[in-house]
Amino acid sequence: MNRSFLAQNPSVLWFLVLLGLFTLVVTVLSEAFGVGFLSTSFVKTLGKTLCLCLIAIAMDVVWGYCGILSLGHFAFFGIGGYAIGMWLMYARTEGIVAESLSNQIIPPTSQELQDAIASQIFGVVGASEFPTLWTFAHSLPLQLLMILLVPGLLALVFGWLAFRSRVTGVYLSILTQAMTLALSLYLFQNDSGLRGNNGLSGLQNIPGAEGVPQSVISIWFLWGSALALGLGYVLFAWVVSGKMGSVIRAIRDDETRVRFLGYHVETYKLFVFTLTAVVAGIAGALYYPQAGIINPAEIAPIASIYLAVWVAIGGRGRLYGAVMGTVVVTLASSWFTGGGAPDVNLGVYTIQWTDWWLVLLGFSFVAVTLFFPQGLGGLVDKLKGAKA
Amino acid sequence: MLRAFLALLLLTGLTAQPGHAQEANLQDLLQEHQAQIIKPSRTKVGPAIEALASSGLPSVPLFLEKWRDKNVYVAEDGLFYVVAGGTATDVSTGEPVSGVDADTLDPIRPNGGVRRVINEALVEFQLSDPDITRRTEAVDAISRNLDPSQVEPLSKAIENETNAALKLRKQRLLNYLAARYGETTEARIDAIKALKDDLSVDGRAVLSQILATSTEAAPNLPEDENIARVLEPGTDISRADAYAMIEDKADLPPVLSASEIRTALEANVEGAKVAGVSVGTLTTQDARAAAYDRLAATGAVAPRATEDTIGETLAAWTIYDVYDEDDTAVTEAARDTQNAVNTRVGVSQTADLALDAISLASIYFLAAIGLAITFGVMGVINMAHGEFIMMGAYTGYVVQQIIPNYTLSLVVALPLAFIVTFAAGVAMERLVIRHLYTRPLETLLATFGISIALQQLAKNIFGTQARPLTSPSWLDGNWAINDVISISYIRVAIFVLALIFLGLLLFILKKTRLGLEVRAVTQNPRMAASMGINPDKIKMMTFGLGSGIAGIAGVAIGLYAKVTSEMGADYIVQSFMTVVVGGVGNVWGTLAGATMIGTLQKGIEWFNPSNTLAAQTYMILFIILFIQFRPKGIVALKGRAAGD
Repeated sequence: MNRSFLAQNPSVLWFLVLLGLFTLVVTVLSEAFGVGFLSTSFVKTLGKTLCLCLIAIAMDVVWGYCGILSLGHFAFFGIGGYAIGMWLMYARTEGIVAESLSNQIIPPTSQELQDAIASQIFGVVGASEFPTLWTFAHSLPLQLLMILLVPGLLALVFGWLAFRSRVTGVYLSILTQAMTLALSLYLFQNDSGLRGNNGLSGLQNIPGAEGVPQSVISIWFLWGSALALGLGYVLFAWVVSGKMGSVIRAIRDDETRVRFLGYHVETYKLFVFTLTAVVAGIAGALYYPQAGIINPAEIAPIASIYLAVWVAIGGRGRLYGAVMGTVVVTLASSWFTGGGAPDVNLGVYTIQWTDWWLVLLGFSFVAVTLFFPQGLGGLVDKLKGAKA
Repeated sequence: MLRAFLALLLLTGLTAQPGHAQEANLQDLLQEHQAQIIKPSRTKVGPAIEALASSGLPSVPLFLEKWRDKNVYVAEDGLFYVVAGGTATDVSTGEPVSGVDADTLDPIRPNGGVRRVINEALVEFQLSDPDITRRTEAVDAISRNLDPSQVEPLSKAIENETNAALKLRKQRLLNYLAARYGETTEARIDAIKALKDDLSVDGRAVLSQILATSTEAAPNLPEDENIARVLEPGTDISRADAYAMIEDKADLPPVLSASEIRTALEANVEGAKVAGVSVGTLTTQDARAAAYDRLAATGAVAPRATEDTIGETLAAWTIYDVYDEDDTAVTEAARDTQNAVNTRVGVSQTADLALDAISLASIYFLAAIGLAITFGVMGVINMAHGEFIMMGAYTGYVVQQIIPNYTLSLVVALPLAFIVTFAAGVAMERLVIRHLYTRPLETLLATFGISIALQQLAKNIFGTQARPLTSPSWLDGNWAINDVISISYIRVAIFVLALIFLGLLLFILKKTRLGLEVRAVTQNPRMAASMGINPDKIKMMTFGLGSGIAGIAGVAIGLYAKVTSEMGADYIVQSFMTVVVGGVGNVWGTLAGATMIGTLQKGIEWFNPSNTLAAQTYMILFIILFIQFRPKGIVALKGRAAGD
C-alpha cells in the first residue's frame, strides 16, 4: 500500500527531500549549530513559516479538495497555541514561584503554591484563582492531548451542526467566520480565564530547558515544525489520494450528485473538517512557542481570510501549491513591511512599501483570482507539461 | 471745549451717581451692624443677615458671597471694603477705591457656622435671582445636597417663579425635602406617596435614602427598632462577615487567615520544630491549624476561632438590617412607593431598551440591505461592502471640509456618497465580479483583496486617526420621553433614514420596471434572459444600487461613530449575519434579520450590561444555532426560486 501510494505521488517524495534539504541547510547556516549566517530571529521566522505551511495544507485539503471554504481555521490554530501556552506559562511560573517560596521556614502547602502561581499569572487581569479551563495546565501530556481534542471536538460539533442542516457555500464561509469572531471576542474578555487581551506571553521560554540558549531552541523548533509539516504532508497526500480522495474531490465538484450516488457526504465532510482542524491545532501549538506570545487578535477573522489568500495564490487542489503560496506571501510580506523593499520615487510621490504593501497584495490577489485561478502551482503544472 | 467738558460731566455723572447712592446705602446698613459683621458668631449674626436680606439692595448677594469667601476687609475707621487682587474695592460697585491701601485693612474671617448661615441666606437670593441660570444653579445645588434648612427659602421662592419648568422643579424639590424632613408623619407619608409618579434619579434617591439601612448584630432581635429584615448567615451575608461583626461586639477570638497562622507558626519555630512537630510535616493547612491550636493551648499565641466556634456564635446571635429611619409608618410608605416606582421604572427601561434595539436594528438594516440585494441577485458575497460604507463616510468628511455649514454639507453628502459608491460598485462589477459569476467562492476572495487594498488606501490618504463627521446642531441632544426613556436625535434620524430606504427599495422593487427585472433575475436569470431582460445590465445596476446604499449608510454611521479606515470592517460581519439570518434576496428578510440581531444584542447586553464583548459572543453563538434550524434564513425563497 505504502509503496504504491508513494509511487502514485512522486511529488510527495520530492517535497520530503526538499524539506529535509531545507532543514539541513538552515541548521548548517544557523548560529547554534553552524556558521552563524542566519540570525536566531530569522530561524524563528522560518520555523513559524513551516507551521503556517502546515495549516495552509490543511486549509488546502478542506477548501481546495473538499470545497468547504472555511474562514475559521485559524481559530483551531489559536486554540492549539493557547493549549500549549497554558502549560508553558504554568510550568515556568511554577518553577519561579517554587524557587521564591523555597527559602521559607515552613514549606509551602500545595494550596499556597497554586495561589502564588495563579496570582502571578492572573494578576494582570485582576484575578487570583485558576479558572476551570486550567485544570490540566500542570500536566504536559494532558495539555498535549488538549491540543488534539479541543480543536477536534469543536470542529466535530460545529461541522456536525452545519453539515447536517446542509449549510453550504458562502453560508458556511460566513458561519465559520462567525465562529472565529465569537471565539476571539470571548477571549478578549478579561474574565475569559485566558488573560483577556494580554494573551499568554513568555512562551519562548521552555520549562526544563532554562540553560539552553534561544538559538538552540529555535533550531529544535525548526526541526519539530519541519517534522510536523513532513508528516502532515504525507498524511494529507494519503487522504486525498485513492478512493477517498476521489470522493472528496467529487463532493467539491458536485455535492448533490455524490449524495445521489449513495455516499454519505456529510460524514466525508465532517471527517475532512475535523482532521484538518486537529492538524491546524498542532500547527498552532508549534507556532506560538516560536512567536513567544499569543493573544485574541491572532484569531480575528482576518487571519483566516489570509490563510485562504495564501492557498489561493499558491493554487488550490495541490498540496505543494499551498506551501508555495504561504512561503511566497509571508516572506514577501515580511520583506515589504520590514522595510526590506526599496522605496519607489515617482517624482511627485514616493511609494513607501510599508504603506503600500497591502494595496499591492490586495490587487495582486484580485489579479491572481482573475487571471491565474490555478495560482503559482498552476505554473509548475505548465512547466511539467512543457517538459513532458 | 465746552462740549468736551459737558461730555465728561455726563460720563462721571452716569457712572458715579447710582453707584454712590448704593454705596451709601449698603455701607450704612453694614455700619449699623458693624459689630456682628466684623466678629460674627453663628448665634448672633442672624439679625444682621436678616436686615441685609430684607433691605432689597441688589448688591447684597455679591457682598454675602465675598463675606463668606473671606474677601471682605475692614478699615480702621470701620468702613468695609472688598479686596480683590490686592486692591480695595467698593462693597457695592466693585470698583477700586482710591486712597485706601489694601495692606492697612483687617480681614474678616467668619467661621464655618457663620458661613453656613450666610450660605442659607445666599440660596434664598439665588432662588429668586432674576437671572434664570443662577436660579437653576441654586436648584441644582439644593438637589445635590438635600438639607432641612432649605425648606423655608425654597417654599418662599416658589410663588414668584416665572419659569414653569423651574417652578415644577422647585415644587418637586420641596416635596423631596418634605418626604425626608417633614415635621409630622402624615406630612411625610403624603410627600412620599406623591413620589409615586416620579421616575427621576433624584426622586428615587430620596426613597432609597429614606430606606437606608445599616447591618447590626445582637443576641436577640431588639423590639424598639425599625427592623428591615433578618439576615441569614451564609445566604444573605457571608459567614466570615457575620462572625467579624459579632467578634467585635462580644470580644471573641478572631478568625485567622492561612497567612496569619503561618506567620504565627514561623515566629514560634524552635530548632526546626513548632509545638513539638517538625516543620517539614506542616505542608497541609489542617496540620498547620492543629499545630497552631496546640501553641494556643500552651499560651504562646492568642486562641483563634475554629469552625465550631463560628457555628455556635452564629447560632446564638441574630444579624439584621435596621432602618436609619425610626418611624415604621414612613418606611412602610416609602417601601410601597419604591415598589410602585420600580415597576414603572422597569416598564420604562424595557421601552428604552426597545428603542435602543430599534435604533441598532436600523443601523444594521442600512448596513446590510445593500449586501442583501447584491447577494440575492447575484449569489455573490461582497467582502468589500464594508469598505463602501467607509467610502461613503469619508465622502461625507471631505464634503464637510469644503462646505462648512453642517446642514448643507449633509444635504450634499448624502447623494454624493451614493454617487461615489455607486460608481465604485459599477466599476468593481465590470472589472472583477463579472468574470467570476461561475465561481462564487472566488468572488468572496477577490472582493476581499479589493477590501484590504481599499482599507490601506484610505489609511494612506486620510491617516490612521479617526476623522469626525459632525452632525448639524439640530440633531444634537436627546429626545426624552420621561426620566428613563430617551434617545438621541441622531438615532431617530438614522431610524427615519432606514424607513425611507425601506420604502424606497420596496417601491423600486415592486413598482418599477427595473425592480421587476431585478426580481426576475433573482428568481431565474436564464429564464429572465430568454424573456428579453439583459441580466448583465441588471446585475450591474443592482450592484451599483447596493453599493450606493452602503455609501449612504456610511454617512449615517459616520455621524454617530467616528470615521476610520476600519469602520467598514466593524460592520461587515454583522451585516453578513443580518443577511444570512434574514434570508437572501428579500427586503423584508433583511428587515427581519436586522430587527432580530439588533434586539438580540441589546437584550443580551441588558442581562450583562458591563460586558458588551460577551453579548456579541453569545449573539453569534445564537445565530450559529439559529442557522441550524432555518438554514435559508427567516424569510426564505420558496419553490423553484430558491434554487440550490
